[in-house]
Amino acid sequence: MKIERRRVPDEIPTASMADIAFLLIVYFMVTSTFAATRGLDFAFPPEDDSKSDLIEPEDAVLIEIQSSGDLLVDQKPMKATEIVEYLRPKLVNNPKKPVIIKPDPASPYGYMLEVLDELRQGDEKLGLKINISLPTQREIELFWY
Amino acid sequence: MKLRAEHNAEPVIPTASMADIAFLLIVFFMVTFTSEVDRTQVTLPNTGLRYEIPAQSAYISVTEAGLIRVSNGEEMSVSVPGVEDVLSFAAQVVATDPSRDFVIKADTNVPYRTVDKVIDALKQARVKNIFLLSRAKTVDGAGG
Repeated sequence: MKIERRRVPDEIPTASMADIAFLLIVYFMVTSTFAATRGLDFAFPPEDDSKSDLIEPEDAVLIEIQSSGDLLVDQKPMKATEIVEYLRPKLVNNPKKPVIIKPDPASPYGYMLEVLDELRQGDEKLGLKINISLPTQREIELFWY
Repeated sequence: MKLRAEHNAEPVIPTASMADIAFLLIVFFMVTFTSEVDRTQVTLPNTGLRYEIPAQSAYISVTEAGLIRVSNGEEMSVSVPGVEDVLSFAAQVVATDPSRDFVIKADTNVPYRTVDKVIDALKQARVKNIFLLSRAKTVDGAGG
């Protein structure tokens, strides 16, 4: 009698592979977030830079940010986009002239960053590095006169 | 004359390439996956200029409500009771690594006085360089 041999198909079962792969995708999609990894840099003056304390108010450009977001540049109302052009003649004569940003404590933080951004972009427009100063409230109380 | 269909084709959806596509997606997620040390939800301000923040920078996040979280860049951020604690935290980090950059991740609507105190604490701790985290400003002025 001839015994009939059962033929087992020689294949790797891959039916569940897609299930496992999609489970991993779901895990990564749920746990991943879009991370913000960019921003404006700002270097603090060195601690021994005593010259920064000796700025005469009339030697600097003062940008005051009011709580409403309005700007006063040397007491003149101005838009953020107009600051660089205002600074151009002043900085051509004295490139090291300090530009002081003084935000109102009650003003939203975003306004300060908008002004800082305009000034940093001004470096390229004016072809020089604007000497930006951002004194804190404690420093203003200690050194402002 | 009656014609008989020769083949009885089985209705099959070809799924052989599904795993390939799925694994491609997995590779994408694995390559782009970064572990964040701070996941505080804030509305970032928009800026035109943005520079890449160095890896392992210390983070200080400030929410609109004024809640502050700090991270040394290696461990997950923890909440601190007040701005006063930022100085001791920053001094500790600077003592370990004097050249460590600090990132301020503050909500665009938080009153400046809170950020001012954070900046003052970092200055007192002799931090050399800070990054003010922002989103990209688009043509219409909104964030992107």
